[in-house]
Amino acid sequence: MKKFVSKLVLFAMVLALVCSCAYAETDSEYVKAKGTLVVGITVFQPMDYKNEAGEWLGFDADLAKAFAESLGVKAEFQEIEWNNKILELNGRNIDCVWNGMTLTSEVLASMACSKAYCNNAQVVIVPANVAEKFQSVESVKGLNFAVEHGSAGMEVAQANGFKTTNVQDQATALMEVASGTADAAIIDSLMAAAMVGKGTGYENLTYTVALNSEEYGVGFRKDSDLADKLNAFFDAKYNDGSIQKLAETYKIQAALIKQ
Amino acid sequence: MELIIKQMPVVINALNAGFVQTLKLFSITLLGAFPLGLLIAFGSISKITPISVITRLFIWIIRGTPLMIQLLIVYYFPGLVLHNPIWGGGESGRFTAAAIAFVVNYACYFSEIYRGGILSVPVGQQEAGLVLGMTKRQIFFHVTLLQMIKRIVPPISNEIITLVKDTALARIIALQEIIWAGQAFMKGSHGISGAIWPLFFTAFYYLIFNGIVTLALTKLEDKMNYFR
Repeated sequence: MKKFVSKLVLFAMVLALVCSCAYAETDSEYVKAKGTLVVGITVFQPMDYKNEAGEWLGFDADLAKAFAESLGVKAEFQEIEWNNKILELNGRNIDCVWNGMTLTSEVLASMACSKAYCNNAQVVIVPANVAEKFQSVESVKGLNFAVEHGSAGMEVAQANGFKTTNVQDQATALMEVASGTADAAIIDSLMAAAMVGKGTGYENLTYTVALNSEEYGVGFRKDSDLADKLNAFFDAKYNDGSIQKLAETYKIQAALIKQ
Repeated sequence: MELIIKQMPVVINALNAGFVQTLKLFSITLLGAFPLGLLIAFGSISKITPISVITRLFIWIIRGTPLMIQLLIVYYFPGLVLHNPIWGGGESGRFTAAAIAFVVNYACYFSEIYRGGILSVPVGQQEAGLVLGMTKRQIFFHVTLLQMIKRIVPPISNEIITLVKDTALARIIALQEIIWAGQAFMKGSHGISGAIWPLFFTAFYYLIFNGIVTLALTKLEDKMNYFR
């Protein structure tokens, strides 16, 4: 028994030793060595989505491809479970989160983030037939909100003292409103523009009040040197006008942030 | 309604692609868990105490923790803690990690069903075999095994049908199985965004597939009636 215990302790010590070794090379060396920049995304029109041929495009996707090219590597897109984005990043399954990510306090604390490149707002979604009643922050105070767990929408709802139900993602929050299990939802304005109203599955929903204004950024592993490289890339591409042109392609030029 | 009919072909295509992943995970889990379960069953009824104790401890841990946590551990542990992301970020790595978690998890459940089947064969038959000069191996393969298989078909069927639906858990590590494919249309995929019905439509796939599985298992049970 004693022998067994001592072996167990030895095993634990070896494990601890293995765990404590950090990576020696910098993040950009690591990415260049393997030749790919794996971009963690979720489907989010107009930032990242697939065309009918199955290729990724969108404002974020196109920029990510160009950035990878500037590093001399290939961009690879990997869909992730949004709640696990920090696990995916730290576990080196992906190299960055580049998907219309709001720079929340949680994100800023756990990732090395680029400069903000795009403005966004959190907007209130309500059924279209009652939209008239809910055009101000005051008027929506008593509603039951569905918000994505861990999202910027949740932070804003808490700051306003709203009653919330936390659900898995923004799309589920919309479904809660459509099915009547929540009175309203809070989601990104860029997403709301693409997902509710005519021609979508949520024709009976609409968006009303904007609760805040916020910014999108790109997240890398903490201490990564790629965030600085991306900032320089943003500056260059803004100065030669190519970012502005790309924003017009995807109709988000109004939200673009000057670099 | 008109919108749904227009979206139907695109959605069916995407759901089929997701369902292929579901089916792949389902079949690999069965192929791996059937033999591994037998091995674990032998371990847990072993006369050698350390082997049976360790095996039972293992079964306790696997059956005692949620499959969802096991998926997260198998996929993220190597990269996060050992600093060696052996699976990589791509779809195939996610599939391998999911398959390993599923095979081990289901093997543990199967092993207990096997154990029940083995113990249900009267000990007198083994004694008779020994008297006739058969080896232990011969007794297991020629006397016990087929009787055991006949008896475990109903409980194993239960597990198999559960497995069809459990495959949906693999979406926690972003394996793009059919529910993931259905949900994608809520966010925007293949030019369709904000469509809710594809998610619910996936239920038909499970229902039809489980119908086929049930029929096949009933057939198997009928065949087994040969050994009364």
